[in-house]
Amino acid sequence: MSSSKFPADFDLQRQAFPGDDTPERSAPEDTGLQNQSGANAPWLDRPTCPEEYRRLRLCLDSLSDREILEGYRILRDEKVPRAEGWYYPNVRILHGTAFEREKDRREQKIWSEAHDESEVARWYREAREKPCAWWVENHIIARHALTSCMSCGVCTSLCPAAEFFDYNPRTIMEIVQEKDEQTLVELLRSDTIWYCYQCASCKVKCPRQNSPFGMLSSLRQLSQLKGYHVHSIRGRQQVAARHLWGGNLWNRACSLYYRDSHPETHRDFGPRHETLYRSIEIAFRQVGACPDMSGSLSARKIHPETLQEVRRLWHAGGALFLWQMIDEAAARGAVEDGLTIDEYHDKAKTEG
Amino acid sequence: MRDNAEQMDRRGRGNPWGRHIKSIPEGGYYLTLSCIMGSFFPGSESMIPRVYDLLGVRWGINSDAGSGWTCCTGIAYHGDVMPIEGTLLTVARLWSIAQASGLPVITPVCVTSFGVHLECRELYEKEPGLKEKINRLLMDACGRTFEIPKHIIHVSDVFYRYRDALRDRHFHYTLTEKGTGRPLRVVDHVGCHYSKIFPQQHAIGGAEDCRVLADPVRAWGGEEVDYPERRGCCGMGFRQCMITPNRGATIARTLKKIRSMAPCRPDLIVTNCPGCTTFLDKGQWAVHEVAGESHFIPVLNYVELAGLLLGWDPYETVGIQFHTVPVEPLLEKIGIPFDRSRSRLEGDRYNVGPPFAGPPTAG
Amino acid sequence: MTGLKAALTLDEFEIPSVIVEKSGELGGKVRGYGKTFPDFRSGRALVSGLVKRVDSTGMIRVLRNCTVSGIRTEGDHYRVRLSDGTSLDAHAVILAFGFEPFDATRQEEYGYGVCPNVIAAPELEALLDPLGPTKGRLLRPSDGKPVRKAAIIFCVGSRSKRTDSPYCSRICCSYSTKQAIEIKESDPDAQVVCFYMDIRTYGRGFEEMHQYAREIGVKYIRGRVSECCALPDGDILVRAENTLLGKPVQGVFDLVSLSVGMTPSPDTSSLAEMLGIELGTDGFFISADGGLSPHDTGREGIFLAGAVTGLKPIRDCILEGTSAGGRAAAYLRRRRA
Ligand SMILES: Cc1cc2nc3c(=O)[nH]c(=O)nc-3n(C[C@H](O)[C@H](O)[C@H](O)COP(=O)(O)OP(=O)(O)OC[C@H]3O[C@@H](n4cnc5c(N)ncnc54)[C@H](O)[C@@H]3O)c2cc1C
Ligand code: SF4
Ligand code: SF4
Ligand code: SF4
Repeated sequence: MSSSKFPADFDLQRQAFPGDDTPERSAPEDTGLQNQSGANAPWLDRPTCPEEYRRLRLCLDSLSDREILEGYRILRDEKVPRAEGWYYPNVRILHGTAFEREKDRREQKIWSEAHDESEVARWYREAREKPCAWWVENHIIARHALTSCMSCGVCTSLCPAAEFFDYNPRTIMEIVQEKDEQTLVELLRSDTIWYCYQCASCKVKCPRQNSPFGMLSSLRQLSQLKGYHVHSIRGRQQVAARHLWGGNLWNRACSLYYRDSHPETHRDFGPRHETLYRSIEIAFRQVGACPDMSGSLSARKIHPETLQEVRRLWHAGGALFLWQMIDEAAARGAVEDGLTIDEYHDKAKTEG
Repeated sequence: MRDNAEQMDRRGRGNPWGRHIKSIPEGGYYLTLSCIMGSFFPGSESMIPRVYDLLGVRWGINSDAGSGWTCCTGIAYHGDVMPIEGTLLTVARLWSIAQASGLPVITPVCVTSFGVHLECRELYEKEPGLKEKINRLLMDACGRTFEIPKHIIHVSDVFYRYRDALRDRHFHYTLTEKGTGRPLRVVDHVGCHYSKIFPQQHAIGGAEDCRVLADPVRAWGGEEVDYPERRGCCGMGFRQCMITPNRGATIARTLKKIRSMAPCRPDLIVTNCPGCTTFLDKGQWAVHEVAGESHFIPVLNYVELAGLLLGWDPYETVGIQFHTVPVEPLLEKIGIPFDRSRSRLEGDRYNVGPPFAGPPTAG
Repeated sequence: MTGLKAALTLDEFEIPSVIVEKSGELGGKVRGYGKTFPDFRSGRALVSGLVKRVDSTGMIRVLRNCTVSGIRTEGDHYRVRLSDGTSLDAHAVILAFGFEPFDATRQEEYGYGVCPNVIAAPELEALLDPLGPTKGRLLRPSDGKPVRKAAIIFCVGSRSKRTDSPYCSRICCSYSTKQAIEIKESDPDAQVVCFYMDIRTYGRGFEEMHQYAREIGVKYIRGRVSECCALPDGDILVRAENTLLGKPVQGVFDLVSLSVGMTPSPDTSSLAEMLGIELGTDGFFISADGGLSPHDTGREGIFLAGAVTGLKPIRDCILEGTSAGGRAAAYLRRRRA
């Protein structure tokens, strides 16, 4: 990138973080946490049966906030020097574990308590108490998404979800237009709203310039704020979504992490993907990316300062409040089903 | 079958086409990278800075490591775990960094990002006072301010603008068959959030006859081939593709797209969205398993396509080993040399060679 | 049509008039219709009947291939400058220069101008016309194959904010139904499918015609069409939702006809500016007194008639030609007094 015009001395692949030259702790490559702690780290287990879930939960519950937060931070920032920069071997091990989720829940709770409620969160908290009909007239996305619908069906005609599911954006727009509270609540508690692909095929064609695309997005926010989403199988999946994308954002400042496509959850990607995945970091480095490394290109470890900055934005933008609502609904659901929160999460993620 | 190019009488396009031309500035690009592309096709992301440098355009990414880029939160927003205000703030921060660096043109590489940036901008237009509010929150949270950018341009727009320059000055290959000179038959799939959210102003050619991929394909020697499901969604669907039990919905769309393309006998599928690239490529394995149809049409995004035509190493730079459908048969057609041992997939029974090297058995 | 009727009405009041016609022939669009709804009489015959009467009175002068290039007040009359360089004096002017069918290339998703087998309603009108290019046989443009399956898409360029034409064009439901009947009657085995949102066959005899269409097997699907795609063999794939069943549907057709709506004639805005009279937000002229004086404009002695105030069926155009002629005659008499 030598001829890069801007900024002159910035190297996309090699930029180190401040303090990187004096590592406090470092570990040789591929001694990750797993090798170091092995059986000593039951909180990193990926349980498979109720008994294991219970054991994991007991273990996590026994850890104090400090132990969890600090432990996570130390592991996350452990690093190994490489010719191209620093490598953080534990990021991939922490990613997607019940430990990381527990850490996120506690850290976000502490964070929320330490900061004043943001004005956005306050708006959402108040909106939560109001009728659904109020929401569709006032939420910033919903109120631009429907002026009036003439039930022409153009939206449904090109809708991929209407083709695959028992789903019809036109009738949803009709329901919203009716503003009958009972029907709206039923809608928000059903699987229906979760079928939308968010593709915008409907938005481009609507002769009234409505946007079922935007309306569905807004209705889903409302469903989660009110806790209605746990009444449907598809809606319940949001607890997994919150930890998948929300966890990636909170810890890595990206909605997706390159290890999200684990062959176990992505069998349909085929055997070539499986082979590739076995040496995915090598493949990433081969094409100049920075998997779990310092640097600025794909899959790089996020700079702590950058992370702090965007976390403040998500607090201000109401994301923490939304996640808290999802967590509370999930906690209630887990109690009802007699499951640990971890098992509830995994069940929601694989059910449907 | 009648020739598509002939059937697509371009005279008729003249009118509407002229209504959807946007101006693409020649430089000053602030590059925002993509969590999807970075997770699935990291080579493409590393290549964009190289292509920008090759073209000699002024561009940048961040001024220092501490004020790094982050993803736009678009996936989380469309996956319903990020309120719009969180997205507005995240995007505002990126704009603010770009503006502090003196780079007026935001160029997202991801189509989801492109849509999200434009949606943010539209909200500011529709909502009086919103800009002041977000600026205030941004200032309180991290001491930055932003202006609404005049130009939000997808990286594929940049490639579109420089398509002739790339061909004339830099390419080593064209989209033609080695030996015969036959133009390769190319079908395109433009990402929904590129062409459907704001088709009038921001999609080259609009939503119905989007030219952003088709014109570069023509310029680079290929034959543009139309197919009935051309404007259909790829099925990515955010929560549909990422939550395992929902993925049937995604695969159903892939199946529909691929079945619609197959009778046109394409040599290549070209895309401009990392999500679509992923599911049109990896989805073909699912189509093979679920429907028993072995189409295996190579899929490339526009960066990979340009990278290969530039003569860059297919494995070391472009990263074709990240594809589920082997790209090697296409390389052989064009005459691009490659060293299979570099793929690191050698020894895998599904590697290049049979059953993929033969003609696809259309269903 | 409207203009001819207005001139003939003035003639009944023994008031001389001049018809300024832009094209080479009188009669406007109706001249090109083999059959017209609701009674299936020949449009061409209607026009030639009127033209014969225009030619036989001595009071009406006809200027063909001629337009108005300027108007100004001069003493007690208007001085009308014409495109051929000459000018004429008039005490009253009736604007009856009609409408323009919607340019279907603007509704891009239907592929008009790109797929040869997607045509617009005036072209279908010509294909159905026994004196037209195919002698009334419905052959599709790409390969001359007889059409066995036709789709008619309603509301093209109407009732859509996206094309800046939120209004209903009022007569496309009726003329499309008429066209569907013609296809079905000439070939009972042919399939005709109409994609509609609402059937607005509002006039006397119109709804009866619609019922007849259904009885002879014209199929109606309630749903606005979202997209037409050309298949490799030239057939057209049409997508919509059958909103009464709540399911997306698609069908493959030999030919698709777009029932285009109305847009203002291209000369509307320049004439409005020239005369200093008002246009509605839809781009058509609006009449004075909030509509209480339907033919009057803000300018004294300038009158409106026919499709210049929005598309209407022939019957209404005849009515408006007649009443505008009468209104102008009354105005001239009062002026003289
Ligand atoms: C496809 C189609 C089918 C139809 N079928 C039927 C039917 O079956 N039955 C029915 O009742 N109605 C039908 N109609 C409606 C019918 O066409 C109108 O009612 C009728 O044409 C309106 O007549 P008009 O004289 O007001 O305008 P027009 O027919 O538009 O005539 C306007 C005249 O003004 C001339 N002109 C235009 N600009 C200028 C200018 N600047 N200077 C001088 N002259 C000018 C034109 O050349 C033309 O001769 C149909 C319409 C369409 C689009
Ligand atoms: S396209 Fe628009 S007007 Fe038509 S049914 Fe859908 S939302 Fe309603
Ligand atoms: S955005 Fe949702 S409702 Fe709209 S077409 Fe796509 S899947 Fe259907
Ligand atoms: S008359 Fe019928 S086809 Fe024409 S715009 Fe009105 S509803 Fe649509």
